[in-house]
Amino acid sequence: MGDPLLEARGLHKRFGALEAVKGVSLALRPGEVLAFLGKNGAGKTTTVKMLAGLLLPDRGEVRLLGKDPARDPWALRHLGAVLEGNRNVYWRLTPLENLVYFGVARGLSLGAARRRALVLLEEYGLWEKARVEVRHLSRGMQQKLALLQALVHDPEVLLLDEPTLGLDVETALLVQERVRALARGGKAVLLTTHQLSVAEALADRVAIIHRGSLVLEGEKQALLSRFVGEHYVLELEVPPPAEVLGRLRALGVEGEGPFLFRGDGEALWRVLEAVRPLPLRRVAKAEADLLEVFLKAVARA
Amino acid sequence: MLELFLAEFWRSLLTLRRYPLELVGAVVTLSLLFYLLFLGARFLAGPGAEFGDRLEAVLAGYLLWTFTLSSYNSLSFGLMEEAQTGTLEQVFLTPYGPIPLFLVRNLADLLAQGLLVLLVALTLMALTGARLVFTPGGVLPFLVVVLGGYGLGFAMASLALLFKRVGQVLGLSQFLLLFLLQAPGSGVFLFLPLAPGAALARRMLAEGAPLEAWSLGLAFLNSLAYFLLGLFLFRGAVGRAKRLGLLHGY
Repeated sequence: MGDPLLEARGLHKRFGALEAVKGVSLALRPGEVLAFLGKNGAGKTTTVKMLAGLLLPDRGEVRLLGKDPARDPWALRHLGAVLEGNRNVYWRLTPLENLVYFGVARGLSLGAARRRALVLLEEYGLWEKARVEVRHLSRGMQQKLALLQALVHDPEVLLLDEPTLGLDVETALLVQERVRALARGGKAVLLTTHQLSVAEALADRVAIIHRGSLVLEGEKQALLSRFVGEHYVLELEVPPPAEVLGRLRALGVEGEGPFLFRGDGEALWRVLEAVRPLPLRRVAKAEADLLEVFLKAVARA
Repeated sequence: MLELFLAEFWRSLLTLRRYPLELVGAVVTLSLLFYLLFLGARFLAGPGAEFGDRLEAVLAGYLLWTFTLSSYNSLSFGLMEEAQTGTLEQVFLTPYGPIPLFLVRNLADLLAQGLLVLLVALTLMALTGARLVFTPGGVLPFLVVVLGGYGLGFAMASLALLFKRVGQVLGLSQFLLLFLLQAPGSGVFLFLPLAPGAALARRMLAEGAPLEAWSLGLAFLNSLAYFLLGLFLFRGAVGRAKRLGLLHGY
């Protein structure tokens, strides 16, 4: 992978007594999707806004293709953003008009913006609604249009805050597929979402923010492998008698069936001894998912 | 930048075409407001009252007010609407920067503003019997006043950006604007915003006075000073909004 297209170093932001972001550093390289995860109020939106130049950090710096977007607005030519909680497009204009307008506002010529808008509307299945005012479109279509608005000037870096929120299954899958394709095409994508299944499906790397600080960052596969090794799932054919259950609890087994055991392979044998001779249904290494990684990272922090 | 102007102009025309009732509503409201004041004044003055040249002067001032009003408050209303409808941040993501974008937006709205004033002028001339003298040169003091109006508009937009809901302040300050546009354009009034340009425009429209280059120059300097002051304040407000995290919807 090449040099980072978007880089943040030591970002700090305080609002009064609240230290919203504490020393966050991120790098986003071409062709990768970084899932930026965190609970509500963890500092995600504050960080994203600093990355987009909409909020000035108290300390630290942002570089978008080597330039500071807060001081050099022309750097924003390389950035597209869908911001959660916003409509992102004008409701009194049609999708075509919105895309042409935002294309020009992002630095394209009128002709180029129109050509690009037509291609995008076709590609994302909004062609039939191209000339309908946005206020008459469904929520899903509006959300799709918000994404197109971020893509219209073909930026190298995309900040997508909950891009699949409110979409039906089919459209959400389409958007996921497009985001994957955009990354394959060399775009750098920062994906902020509470839908961890979406993040897991799309992300190459994961960064988790908690109370303003990054508590975990790394390649998604490496993180999943790291968290998978510690867990086993145990299922019995019959509920264990109280005496067996007591032994399991003493060994640190959690849950009510399936039981969850954290420990290495040797310790697992002790658990199996404890349930002998009850019939087993399943013993397996637990498969970690991003939800588990997220919950553990946040719990540890 | 020309492309941006064309896009903004096109957007302004689209709104005008798609929502013509908004323009009609504004024409009716503004015409009615003046006409009711006119009727009230005539009632107080008695049945035989003649206003003479004063009616033309007051009408010219009123038209200036309607013209300046939109240059003054369109940016603030625009920002409040953008904050409400959730497009404010996207507007600030333009590589042109917010100030050039809003300047271009103001310019692009001039046509709609001009159309509004023309319709109000024709309606009121028909209703009141006033006669105004329109000359091509008369456009210049109007434009000078509008330049100052933009300056005040940027100053007010600074408040809109920082506090979001400034509708009440805008409503009240419109009457201050009325005072400035009816004030004499000499003495200490030369230093008040809009007053010198408005006085010149009134003289030309109501009395048919010729365009005085000296007066126009002074009015232009006055408007330019307030325009630059407005831009300066707005630039400061953008910086403050970015520091305090105020660029968001509500």
